Order: sequence, then structure tokens, then C-alpha cells
Amino acid sequence: MMRKLVLSAMAAALLAGSFMASPASAFERTEDGEIIVFAGRQAIPVLDPHVRYDWSTRMVQQAVYDALVKYEGDPAEIKPWIAESWETSEDGKTWTFKLVENAKFHNGDPVNAEAVRYSFERGLKLNKGVAWMLKDFLAPEGVSVVDDYTVKFELKAPYAPFLSFLPWWFIVNPAEVQANEVDGDYGEAWLTENAAGSGPFKLGRWEPNVLYELQSVADYWKGWPQGENRPAGVIYRIIREPSAQRASLQRGEVDIVEGLTSDDYVQIANMPGIEIQNHKGMTTFGIKFNTQQGPTADINLRKAIAHALDYDALVQIYNGAASLQTSPLPDGMRGHIDVADIPRQDLEKAKEYLAKSEHPEGGITLEYVHVAGLEEARRIGLVLLDNLKALNINVEIKPEQWPNMVANGSRVETSPAMTSVYVTPISTDPDAVAYQYHKNSWGQYYAMAFYDNPEVSKMIDEARAATDWDKRADLYAKIQTQIVADQPEVFGMLQNRRWAHRDYLKGFQFSPVRFTGEVDLYPLWVEAE
Amino acid sequence: MLSFTLRKLAALVGTMLGIAALTFLITNVAPGDPARLVAGPNATEDMVETIRVQNGLDKPVTEQFVIYMSDLVRGDLGTSIVTTRPVLDELLRYAPATIELVLVAMALGILVGVPMGMLSAVYRNSWFDHATRIFSISGVALPAFWFGILLQLLFAVQMGWLPVSGRLPLVALPPEPITHLLLVDSLLRGQFDTFWTALKHIILPAVVLSFPCLASILRVNRAEMIEVLSSDHVVAARAHGLSSRRIVALYALKNAMLPTLAMIGLRFGWMLGSTVLVETVFDWPGIGLYAVSSALASDFKPVIGVTLLIGFFFIVANTIVDLAYAWIDPRLRNA
Repeated sequence: MMRKLVLSAMAAALLAGSFMASPASAFERTEDGEIIVFAGRQAIPVLDPHVRYDWSTRMVQQAVYDALVKYEGDPAEIKPWIAESWETSEDGKTWTFKLVENAKFHNGDPVNAEAVRYSFERGLKLNKGVAWMLKDFLAPEGVSVVDDYTVKFELKAPYAPFLSFLPWWFIVNPAEVQANEVDGDYGEAWLTENAAGSGPFKLGRWEPNVLYELQSVADYWKGWPQGENRPAGVIYRIIREPSAQRASLQRGEVDIVEGLTSDDYVQIANMPGIEIQNHKGMTTFGIKFNTQQGPTADINLRKAIAHALDYDALVQIYNGAASLQTSPLPDGMRGHIDVADIPRQDLEKAKEYLAKSEHPEGGITLEYVHVAGLEEARRIGLVLLDNLKALNINVEIKPEQWPNMVANGSRVETSPAMTSVYVTPISTDPDAVAYQYHKNSWGQYYAMAFYDNPEVSKMIDEARAATDWDKRADLYAKIQTQIVADQPEVFGMLQNRRWAHRDYLKGFQFSPVRFTGEVDLYPLWVEAE
Repeated sequence: MLSFTLRKLAALVGTMLGIAALTFLITNVAPGDPARLVAGPNATEDMVETIRVQNGLDKPVTEQFVIYMSDLVRGDLGTSIVTTRPVLDELLRYAPATIELVLVAMALGILVGVPMGMLSAVYRNSWFDHATRIFSISGVALPAFWFGILLQLLFAVQMGWLPVSGRLPLVALPPEPITHLLLVDSLLRGQFDTFWTALKHIILPAVVLSFPCLASILRVNRAEMIEVLSSDHVVAARAHGLSSRRIVALYALKNAMLPTLAMIGLRFGWMLGSTVLVETVFDWPGIGLYAVSSALASDFKPVIGVTLLIGFFFIVANTIVDLAYAWIDPRLRNA
């Protein structure tokens, strides 16, 4: 009996061996050519370009839709796209765009001025997703058709950042959307899992929570930068666990991944066949103080903490793939200056500030809240805990689910003493970051500090209305300096944006204005052996 | 028997409503503002309000509760605030993948657990028995997510035998649905290649999911076998000169299977709950994964929906076990 058992175990092992698959396939191939496989952690529940945007959603929106203009390059620049040229009136209130005449939607309809007008009307009337960017300055009636290929925007007031938002206002085909309208919903239900665009890709299979397939449009009106090497398509596949992403990349089941841990990037950097993209991003990190309530309402205590932190540790936590912020505005942003006296670790100064505060001996406990599961944010908390011992301040590190953190941070009474917050600006215009420090932003997660300096708010208002860049640049320099002086947060670091991909994947173009993880799929291609 | 069945059914409906009420309260007590999350980080207050009104979140919680429960009685599980689709549609979309995974895992648990339990009882205190006991203890003790990642590293990355995650290769089209179970459909459609690849994809998650269940089946079966093998009727059978194989396979196993069956029934519902972890590790597109992603987004209605579905299967499995017991043992019918 025992011998039989051993024999059957051996047979089972042999059977298991027969599962041995062919060696890892390089990339997926179909009859039409190569399919690039992108693995990301985040699903795309709603594709409608006027209803949602986050990194994964916008990556696919950018692939299937076009906008008047597009962000490209590092530093990010606004390039003509559906609009071939534009002009602004002197008062900065009227913008006129001349459209290209060869752009076609996937069903063959022309992308004309009416399509642009309808898309903006739709976005503003739905009052979701991208609406906040323009709604205070543009009414739906403010967009008008001049002729088939000219469209005019009349703003309620001059708004300098106007153009910087337009890359995120995608143009839908009015005919298709209206054909699928239910009870005047502007086609919202239909566009959730369908598209009516003119972009370089059209939708293929759409399997929620599993994969989203994009098929390249052979005769895309703008052509393909990689020419003949245009891939047959891209599959965006959901792989939630960083360890599974890494394993899939190593096996060649996917071609590019976005969600590895800092340690993973270091470990796979030297593996054959794998390349790392490592670029300076625009996502700022701040430890936001509650400036309205509790011990951190005291500016001297805030300054003491800011001078006690070991800033080099912030960079080390990312294994060097980060750089310290030198201003509230990230480096890649227009109008950024290096603020001269931004705090660095200096225990003498820290103790001086503490002595001037209401807690000269320390002896207090402050809460540090971070998003549960964000390992780097947790480690920064540990650094803080260690550093603040020198001031006799105790730190209580508290992980919190993101929805709860947002809810707590929306009111002064519930906002913790210190919260670690990453913010990615929506555009390259300095207003995108500066406005976070405006009193009107209270209630948003990035305004958890409840910072209130009327003078700064006034300068921000002035700068967004000014049409002259030099005047704006001046104002933003003052704004940056004043915010640093008021220390509503500890200004941290800009973490690098990283992706790992197989070395045969070519055409990767980084642009810092994209969200973390977001990649421009249009120029990618596979170098076949 | 009829009144017994009716009583069980009434209890089922009552328990389901209880689960719904309790989950509704728990999810509403939890902090977090789903409307604000869905509206996006920069949304203005009136944009958030638009979404609140569309999803009925502007009403007082008590009113929301009454609306939810009365919709539920009519079979309407509400709408997901994240995906904007009816929860029932989404459950139907994701349930087949979970059911397939649980069935395969259950089959593995039974086909491996029962013979192993039997053999280790027969060869009690041999090296095989010791090895089996270590195996079964680790099965109950190992955390599923850790075990899953370990298997991925070993069999997918190191050996390259099996895929890391997912249900089918990316470019493979699933067979035209009949039962929505990939393994069954691909066989029915005669697509043997698809069957083979689907089988390779399901092995790792099914092994991870089945391991604790396999271990408990094994332990129960072993204990029962040992007891039965030392009972009088087995001794009598031996005295009659029946072969050892005949005694074990025909007489002892049959008796030992009753408690094992009860264990299988219990483990079925438990397994559905465990899919939450296993599906996340293996990106298995079932209700467990749906529950996790909804919970992380404070999307309450799908969470309640999944809880109800798992609760439903749990109760049904238990009811079947109860009914089977009652059928076998009339004394239980009036208990």
C-alpha cells in the first residue's frame, strides 16, 4: 500500500509537470499585429469624459477621445490638436479656436465646431467630473459656433488658466450621444461603458474589473508618430497587487506596469529585459497641520516641527527616487521659484521656535494620519515620530481609509493635527496649486490645513484674473514666499513617477502633468525581433 | 416534514432581512462620504450635492433605510454610486466567476481531503499520518493572501508553469456563455484549448481557497474513520474475514462521511466569504473582488448586496444540511 502511495505521488508530480507552459510570451500577438498590455491597479468604472477623471480613466479617455489641445513633453507644453490655432481678445475674456478640417469621429462624422460646442455644453450642464474647472467662468451659452470649423468661448471674467484646462475637456460626437440619450441624460448611461470619440483608439472588449481593450484606428486623422509600427491595440488590465504586477512583468504576461513598490523598482532594475522609467513628477507631499485648532494652530509649534524633520529621510524612503520641494509649487510648474528660507532640519532653530510656542517644554501628543496601505506615508510618520522626540513631542501614527480621511479633513473640528497628503495638480498653471491655499478651498482634502491668510487669497484672485504673464509671475513669487512663511504644512518631497516595462516597448513619452500612473498610449509601440 | 421545511424557509427570509438591516446600519455608521469621493477631489459643493441627490443620499438615514428595505423586498438591490449600474446586474455579472472558483475548490477539498483523511486513519501513526497532520494544521493556519502570493512566486514566476492571475489569457475570447462557468462552457462548446487554459488559470486560486477547507475535511474524516474503524461492527466484519479494503471503502467510509458532509456544507458558505481575499490576490473577477473595491470606495449598496448573496448561500447550505439530517433522523424534525 505504501509503495503504491509513493508511486501515485510521483504520477501526480509528473502530471503537474505537464502543465509546464511554453516559455513566457513576449507580448500578445493577434492577426492584426502586436497588442501592448498595460497592468494597472485601478479599474475604470465610468468612462464618460465629462463625468469622471482619475488616472486610469483619463488614460483611456485620452486614447479614445481628442481635445482642442493636448499636453505633451517634459516640461509639459500645450500642443494644438483639434484646434490648429487660437487667439485671445485683449480683455482676456474671448477665446476663438480655429479647428483642423480633417478630424473624424470613429463613425466617420466630422469633428466640427458644433461637436465642440455640444461637448462643452454637456460637460457644464452635467455638472460632474471636469465641470469645476470652468463652471465659474464659462456658462453653457458662452460657447458658440462661428462657422463649421471656428468656435468661440466668451468667459464671464478674464481667467488666465483657461487654456491649461482644455486638454482635459474631451470632444464627443453629438449625433452618437443624442442617439443614445435616455430621458434627457445627455447619453450619460450609455457613455459609461461606450465611447463616441475621434481619438487614436476605439473601444474593443470592455470587461469591468478585468480588462479594457483599445484597438488602434488605422487611419487616425492625425496619423501615427511610430508609422508602420503602430500597435494593433492596447489592453489595460487590472492587477491590484504590486507583487502580482511584478510577477506578471517578469513572466512577460504584461509589457508595462505602474504600481510597484519602491523596493520592487530597485530589485528589478537590473533584471535583463526590463527597463525602468524614472521621472520627476509634479505630485507634492505635505504634512498638513490643522492651523485653526489645537496645538498646531500655533505657528511657532508648526515651525518647530518643520525644522525638526529629517528631510533627507524623505528621499531615502523612496530609495532616492524623489527630490525635496523648494516651494509649495512643484518644480515643473510655470512661475515656480526656490523659496530661500524653506525649512530644513536644524534642531537649534526647532528648539528656539518651540521655546516661543505655547508648549515650550513639548509634552504633547499629536496625531499623524496617513492613508492606510500607503507604505511610504507610514514610514514618513515613523521618521516624524523619531525626530519629534528631540522636542519632547509624541506622535501617534494613525492609518485611515481614504474616504474617512477625506470626510474628517473636510471640517476644522475633525481635521487631525497632522495629515500626510499627496496632491497632483490638474494643469501646469500655477493657479492649480496656488488655489489650494485660497480660503475657498476649505473643505477639500488638500486644504486640510484650513490655511487662512486674506492677503494670500487676494493675491491668488488677482493672479488668476491677470492676463500679463510677468505680472502673474510676480504675484506667484510673493504667494509662494508668504505660504512658506506661514507654514501651514511641512513641505515634503516630489516623488518620482515610475513605471517598469519590457525593453521591447518603445515610444514611452513622459509628461509630468499626467497623473501618477497615467501614460500617453498613443506613441507606444513594440519593437519585434 | 413539510412544516419543517416551511419553518426553515421563513427563518431564511427573516435572517436575510436581518442581514440587510444590520449591514445597512454598519455601512452607514462608518465614516466617509461616497458622493464626495465619486465627485472627485476638486468638485465644488454643488457638484457633490448633484451626486447626493441622484443617489438619494441627501435624505435622512432613516428614510434611506425605509427606501432600501422596501426596494429590497421587491428584489431591487439599489444602484452602485461608483459604477452607476444596478447592483443586481453587477452581482449577476460577477457571481459566475466566484461560483466556478468555489465549486472547483470544493471539489479539490473533497477529492483530496476525503482519501487523505481515510488513508491517515488507516495508517494511523505512520509517517504518512504525521505528514498529513502537519499538512492539515498548516492548511487551517496559513493566511490565504500570503499563501497565494507564495504560490504565485513559485509556480508562476520561478517555474513558469501557471499564469500569475486572471481567469483567461488576455487575447483569448471566452466561449459563448451557456452556464457562464468557463470550464463547463468551453467543454460544451468543444473548445478544448480554452478549457485547458481556463483550467491552468483556476488551479492556483482554487488551491489557495480549498486549502483550509481541505484541511478541515481531512481532519473530520480522519477522526471519524478512526472511531468507526474501532467500532464493534467493523471488528465483527473483520472477524467474518472481509478484506481490509472492502471494510474501509464500503463500511467505514460510509459511516464516517456523515459528519464530513456536514463539514462540507458549512465550509461552502465560509468559502464564499474567503473569496474576498483570494480573488484580490489573483485578480479573479468575482463578487469577492467586487466587494473589496466597493468597500474601499465607501460604495455601500454593493457591499450590502454581496453580504446578502454570501449570507443567502450560507443559509441555503446550512438549510440543506439541516434538511438532510432531518430526513435521516426523524427525531430532529420536531426539535
